Amino acid sequence: MTSWQEENKECLACEFQENLDILRQISFFSSVPLERLKLFAYICTREKFKAGEYLFRRGDDDGQAFFIISGAVSLVFPDEQSEEVLRSFVAGDFIGGLSLLGNIRRIFSLRAENDLECLMLTREKFKTTMQQFPELLPKIVKALVENIGAWEERCFAGRTDDCSSCRNSLGVSLV
Amino acid sequence: MPAKIKEQPPVVKRTIFSWVLPGNMKLQLTLVVIIVITVGARLLPLEMQKRIVNEAISLRKMDLLYLYCGLYLAAVIVASGLKFAITMLQTYIAEKTLANLRRDLYHHILTLPLSFFRRTQPGMVVSSLVTELTTTGNFVGMAIAVPLVNILTLVAFAAYLLWLNWLLALISLSIYPMVLFLVPFLQKRANRANKKRVNVSFEMSSKIAESITGIHEVHGNGSYHIESGKFNRMVNKIFRIRMVWTLYTQAIKVANNFFTSISPFLIFLLGGYLAMTGKLELGALVAFLSAQEKLYDPWKELIEFYQVYQDSSVRYRKTMKYFDFEPEFKLAPPDRARYELDGRLEVQDLSFVTDDGIRLIEDVNLTLKPGEHLALVGFSGSGKSTLAQCIGQLYKYSSGHVWLGEKEVKDLTKLDVVQNVGFVSQDPFIFDGTIEENMLYACQSIILNDEDARKYPPPTLDNIIEVLQQTGVFVDVLRFGLNAILNQNQHSDLLESLIRIRANFQKTYGEELADYVEFFREDEYLYHSSISENLIFGTPADAAFQDDNLLRNEYFLAFLTEADLTRPLLSMGAGLCRQTVDILGDLTPDRMFFEQSPLKMDELEDFKLLAERLKDAKLHQLGEEDRGMLLTLALRFTPGRHKMVAMPEMLKSLILEGRALFREKAGQERPGAVVAFHKDEYIFSQTILNNILFGKMKTGRAEAQDRIDRSINHLLVEEDMLEKIVKIGMQFQVGSKGDRLSGGQRQKLAIARVFLKAPKVMILDEATSALDNRSQARIQNQLDTRWKGRSTVIAVVHRLDITRNFDKIAVMKAGKIMEMGSYEELMERKGILYDLVAGRK
Repeated sequence: MTSWQEENKECLACEFQENLDILRQISFFSSVPLERLKLFAYICTREKFKAGEYLFRRGDDDGQAFFIISGAVSLVFPDEQSEEVLRSFVAGDFIGGLSLLGNIRRIFSLRAENDLECLMLTREKFKTTMQQFPELLPKIVKALVENIGAWEERCFAGRTDDCSSCRNSLGVSLV
Repeated sequence: MPAKIKEQPPVVKRTIFSWVLPGNMKLQLTLVVIIVITVGARLLPLEMQKRIVNEAISLRKMDLLYLYCGLYLAAVIVASGLKFAITMLQTYIAEKTLANLRRDLYHHILTLPLSFFRRTQPGMVVSSLVTELTTTGNFVGMAIAVPLVNILTLVAFAAYLLWLNWLLALISLSIYPMVLFLVPFLQKRANRANKKRVNVSFEMSSKIAESITGIHEVHGNGSYHIESGKFNRMVNKIFRIRMVWTLYTQAIKVANNFFTSISPFLIFLLGGYLAMTGKLELGALVAFLSAQEKLYDPWKELIEFYQVYQDSSVRYRKTMKYFDFEPEFKLAPPDRARYELDGRLEVQDLSFVTDDGIRLIEDVNLTLKPGEHLALVGFSGSGKSTLAQCIGQLYKYSSGHVWLGEKEVKDLTKLDVVQNVGFVSQDPFIFDGTIEENMLYACQSIILNDEDARKYPPPTLDNIIEVLQQTGVFVDVLRFGLNAILNQNQHSDLLESLIRIRANFQKTYGEELADYVEFFREDEYLYHSSISENLIFGTPADAAFQDDNLLRNEYFLAFLTEADLTRPLLSMGAGLCRQTVDILGDLTPDRMFFEQSPLKMDELEDFKLLAERLKDAKLHQLGEEDRGMLLTLALRFTPGRHKMVAMPEMLKSLILEGRALFREKAGQERPGAVVAFHKDEYIFSQTILNNILFGKMKTGRAEAQDRIDRSINHLLVEEDMLEKIVKIGMQFQVGSKGDRLSGGQRQKLAIARVFLKAPKVMILDEATSALDNRSQARIQNQLDTRWKGRSTVIAVVHRLDITRNFDKIAVMKAGKIMEMGSYEELMERKGILYDLVAGRK
């Protein structure tokens, strides 16, 4: 890794290098070797959203994944009249890895709470890259499976008794 | 002319000989006449030769010498000219036949049933139309003239020989029966190999087409070796077959040569004996030998002709046999006008069984009144698409009935169906061409002649724009229009309005949209423009200042040096080259990866080599060409898009300085070469959008584009420019198979195509599956409000939430309709639909 940084004297502070550093923190990409991660860092784009703008809406199949560089977003569920805010994500969070892997319609909407900068990757670009290096797929799936397992573990550990009907919908990690 | 065509049997039933005379009679006759004259013209010099020696020289008659020499020369010239004419005529006949043959066969292939194409690869069709039929053309070109003339010549010479000496003649002619016996024997084997060769070439073309069509899968699985392996086996097979085939065809030539060369030997032997014994004069023997030599050429040509005939008829028969299927449906009614049906649909006991005996749909019954809308839902494999396709006559149903406007669909001609039914498939095909051409495709296909054109006038621009709006393609087409670069000579009427819109945009939205747009400001560096654009900051009026020509522009290169930019740019270029090659170097090139790179896809290999050279050389050691490549890269560098290197502050200020210097310098020394960006001038090197923005978009994000679009639309409407820009957008080239459009755009365009045709019956086979919610809702809304009562709709639907407004819903399972009724009825019944909607299944 250091050899790459030494080699990379053209760009000590360029966006590409920053993107690469970001991707190295994301668990979704944790098993991808650096040589390939460079490609993902290259095809990512920086996007800015203003407070109130939507990153995606319920029902969309937008196929985008976001890493929040600065700012915060809210996950909301649009009702007939209003919107229910479910939770928020902040700088350092990675959202939407699953939608890179296949078609999936959004169940929630994602709205920028304040001025937002994020790194974005689209399914189309992800897919084209995976076609070049199919050997990456098992690594990404492995990271994803671990992620889902850990997520439900956390979810279950933090459960409360006041929701007995939720029990029947446990088991995302058993899908 | 059409009457004549009708007499012909279908192209696949015609013999190869049927192409020789019909339509070519006059040409073939002319050819024969010319060849006979040519033979004469070739004989004349022989006669002149004799006369020059015998009459002119020996009698010392100067005038005769002139005359005969002149005739000799004339004969040679005429013979050469005629030879050219013959070649031309033969080629003309051959090519004309080939063109007709291709046209007829292609037309026939297009009409073959869909089931044929399920087992046929496109490559096979290509190979048969392109390669296999060419020899048939050659054969037809030769078919009359060559055998006729050569046989005549042979007979004439043989008679002459017999007249000279019957014994010698019989002996030398005795060779030919042997050849006649041997050649067909060898030819039969060659034909066998040739047939195999045609088969394997078809297989090979199919194989190639298959792997190329599936190239994504090949790359995706890294299965290069598997595909290469399959192909190698095919190549080896064809190699062996071609060897055998060529050996036999060559053997025929060798055998023929051998036997014909033997005959002088016999003549020498027998003739020599006869001459020695005084039974034959020496002069007569010589005369005989030279006359006999004249037999070779026509004989050789005959054998060659025989081989062409054999080869082409094998290929011809094989090809025709392959496509010898009847179209499932008649194309056009021969004895009546096409039907114009109402939209009544009745399906009774309908079943469809595949060739393999699998029942895809079984005993389906349903009735729709004109203008009623039916949704077909069910799991994949439940037969809903097949049912839709049977109704649309794409498949011929096995039993039962489909009545459309009280006519049995099975008995309708294609034209009847096309006139009354519009079909949108899940993966609609968009043809290479403009948006407009694709829009009009369905409307044009019902126009066969001038009368139709009067009866069904093409849609007006207003019609088209209305449909574009209904289907939501309008926004896309408008965007294509805005992204067009206007030609300086066309559309000069638009410029004034566009400049006004630019001013209004600045006034109304300038501040609000500043986050999305980088305006062309003279004192600011433009991150979303290239370095060359930053330097020149204007429209090159002189072509020498266009991007492609800058490196050959001595004036510009000198300017770079004067502005102290050459070395920093070279160094920037070297950085870009190294970084990009490092990131993209080991990829199989795909266009997507080069969208964010200053280096183009087809240049990658060259820059890879350059990156190697950069490893051991300093910049000043590089050759002229290498430096040029680096400068090109640097001049293209657009920091807003190319992220692999950073833009040094130092270079940025140098470039801003350079911009000012260039304006001043070029303004004096090259006046008029560059028109500087100015608020009141249209910029011809930029798109319409960039002209209105007087800048460039900072992001390609959909949301941002929407906002820009909305604000610009508003201004366009004010200036009455919306339709004009859409008209320009309709000239957008969609690329082969529409690959410059997104999946959603392709679907919307296909739906627009059918809306524009406004048929009595519309069949939509998951026609909106690639659309986002809003677009899907828009189209569903159009169907509910505009088309209900006007067109009968049969829609295969995979999303249940849009079925609510259909008059009827049919739920299918395993080829049968399980329940049918309105949404409310079925929900009340709590049957399958209810379960499906509740997500319980």
